[in-house]
Amino acid sequence: MRHFAPFIFAVVVSACGGGGDGSNRRTLIDSRDNYDPRSLDPALSTDVPTGRAVGYLFDGLTRFTPDARVEPGLATRWDLSADGSVYTFHLRRGVTFTDGTPFVARQVAVSWQRVLDPKVKGGRGWPLYPIKGAREFAAGKATSIQGLATPNDSTVVVTLTEPFAIFPKLLAMPVASIAPDNVGANFGEKPVGTGPWKLVEWKHDDYLLFEPNKGYWGGAPRADSLKARIIAEPSTAVAEFESGNVDVLQIPQSDITSWQEDTERKKLLASTPSLELVYVAINTTRGPLRDVRVRQAINHSIDRRILVRNLIAGRGELAAGVIPFSLPGSDKTRIGYAFDTLRARQLLTEAGYPNGIDVDLWTSATPIFVRIAETLQGYLALSGIRAKIIQRESAAAREAARKGQADLFVKDWYADYPDAENFLYPLLHSANLGVGGNVSWFSNAQYDSLVSQSRREQNEEKRNAMYRQADELAFHEAPMVFLYFYSELNAVQPWLKGFVPPTIFNGQSWTTVTKVRGSVK
Amino acid sequence: MGAFILRRLLFSIPTLFGVLVVAFLLLYVAPGDPVQAMVGERADEATIARLRAELHLDDPLPVQFGHYLAGIVKGDLGKSYITNRPIRNDIIERFPKTLQLAGAAMFLATVLGVTLGVVSGSRPGSVIDRFGLGIAYLGISFPVYWVGLLLILLFAMTLHWLPPSGFGGIRYLILPALALGMRSIAFLARMTRSAMLEALGADYIRTARAKGVRETVIVSRHALRNALIPIITVLGLDFGAYLTGSILTETIFSWPGLGRYVVNAIARRDLPAIQGSVLFLSAVFVLVNLITDVAYAKADPRVTYG
Repeated sequence: MRHFAPFIFAVVVSACGGGGDGSNRRTLIDSRDNYDPRSLDPALSTDVPTGRAVGYLFDGLTRFTPDARVEPGLATRWDLSADGSVYTFHLRRGVTFTDGTPFVARQVAVSWQRVLDPKVKGGRGWPLYPIKGAREFAAGKATSIQGLATPNDSTVVVTLTEPFAIFPKLLAMPVASIAPDNVGANFGEKPVGTGPWKLVEWKHDDYLLFEPNKGYWGGAPRADSLKARIIAEPSTAVAEFESGNVDVLQIPQSDITSWQEDTERKKLLASTPSLELVYVAINTTRGPLRDVRVRQAINHSIDRRILVRNLIAGRGELAAGVIPFSLPGSDKTRIGYAFDTLRARQLLTEAGYPNGIDVDLWTSATPIFVRIAETLQGYLALSGIRAKIIQRESAAAREAARKGQADLFVKDWYADYPDAENFLYPLLHSANLGVGGNVSWFSNAQYDSLVSQSRREQNEEKRNAMYRQADELAFHEAPMVFLYFYSELNAVQPWLKGFVPPTIFNGQSWTTVTKVRGSVK
Repeated sequence: MGAFILRRLLFSIPTLFGVLVVAFLLLYVAPGDPVQAMVGERADEATIARLRAELHLDDPLPVQFGHYLAGIVKGDLGKSYITNRPIRNDIIERFPKTLQLAGAAMFLATVLGVTLGVVSGSRPGSVIDRFGLGIAYLGISFPVYWVGLLLILLFAMTLHWLPPSGFGGIRYLILPALALGMRSIAFLARMTRSAMLEALGADYIRTARAKGVRETVIVSRHALRNALIPIITVLGLDFGAYLTGSILTETIFSWPGLGRYVVNAIARRDLPAIQGSVLFLSAVFVLVNLITDVAYAKADPRVTYG
């Protein structure tokens, strides 16, 4: 054994230096999916790998650019009624599905009905719920969606239950993509869309292979083919990247430092604005946590600077509210809760808990969350808060939080679309208690009214001001420990041209991505 | 022998029924709801209630079990809650890959493990024996996960001899088979060595030597044949285990087999997928055990089944 250790060391060192050359490979290969998509049916896209693949195969009425702007998709433009509740979408003409079927307005209605139909077993109706009659249709109380009309083949008129200014952003989500109107039972395996890519084959748990849709209205992809490999183990994805077998890699959080400190590998790094909030939901309905002073005390107990530096190599912006700093409505000047154990103890005493409190701190088995929970436990103890860590497998932990059984729950929230509303509304509005995303069980009339009002507000400036106000309120009410916004780190091979890591997961369709042939080393 | 096999097959039916009941009940007792996994991070109670009704999750347990059993009897394992695909198709797609990996691992284990054991056992105390013992210790002590990553580091990243992961030709099979088979290689080497030592000290070997039989023949025909029973036991048990649980190896090497399928199904609380694969894998395990028992009789004429 004495002779074995230097051997391993030699292997590790030499492996880090070697990078394979994949510049002659013609297929673009992605390695970011770590589990098999659920299906390729847009109506079933509730997770990231599914949404990403659906984005390659289908189009929505709108779509995201890599930097998360919303641009026209199958709708070339849209008009909004004066009261802000009726959208008239003018559809792109001359678009066909890859099986030759022409794209017409009727398919928009049929596709959205499928999303809401319980028989399809999708389960993600909420992006379409703003449409009048959508909930009734989903509940089986109506045979069509009242607020959805198709006066002719190239027009869709959508009537909302109330004005909702950011509605076009929701239509860029994969679940709102348009499918043909006669989908077979096998549609999830053999999808037909209007998107930039066509499915060649899907080897489950192995890869999905796509070829360009030559007739794509937005210009056919320039590469020969695109392969999305399913790699479950992050270290394996790193090995594939280092061997030159894949073109894009999501850097595992545990490896960030080694990439940032290596002069060669550092050149390949590309990061995206942070639209992921990592936080600890505080259940505001349980015991001492009902008292805002206790919740503030918990926030004051943690040295987030140290936590971010030591756990994620500094790749997090300290949060002071729920709105990421890259989104309008955020307040960069707001100062977050300072690490102040004395203040925390004082607040606890004021609240009537001079001897501290006992809380259950729930976490899933996700490594970073476990580390956060352990760190928190240590810090909380300094303020006299005795936290008992309860680690469960993620489905079980989430269920407990959704039922309101967890005092504190370490979790994160990714944006589905780039808007402050996507944080303010699901995470803290009382319409979304439990399964809706509000596992803080936060219910505050003033906050609710502000957020509801902001959703209806047509004027962007006024809306952003309301966002800011609601965020400020949430910050002081402290229904969560505001930890940090994580900014995802990717590595991109030097031979890849035109790839920008997308801000929203389905914002990169690879159409303009090419490879520089020949060795680039 | 035919009657024996038939009887064993009949006996396996209650065993599998037991597996079915336990798998069914455990999942309903365990926390975590399949519908919650289906709807993702953001949902509403009405949708969840509708999906539960659609999937008959609100029916009384005996009714649900009855439906499930009726399907099984007709050879229908049901459809996945999450993907809507028939479980049968999923198993048919993945099991051959798991079989291939387990088969390759067992092949390596048999060839390398038995050879190492025979060579070590016939020359106890020699350099090669000590080398063999060393390998065996390492193989048994190292976790599969670590061995797998190390193999990728050495053979894929440093030497560029083999691809790090994925499914394809024989080049893709070598590393995962080695990682998976490592423990069996080690275990078999030790097992074979001690069985050989025991056999080589027996009276009939002395007799064979006395009548002038060549040493190679003594080792390969007389001693090894008698050492086979424990070897077959280990092979059978390990093969059964590999067929049903090479989850870590499949994960590290992105091998699209049944192990990863089951883990994903569990993470998403995909009840029909979990139940279907557990039932299928139990049947495989029962079958492998049966084959092992039949092999005993072939290896040792003293073993008879009535």
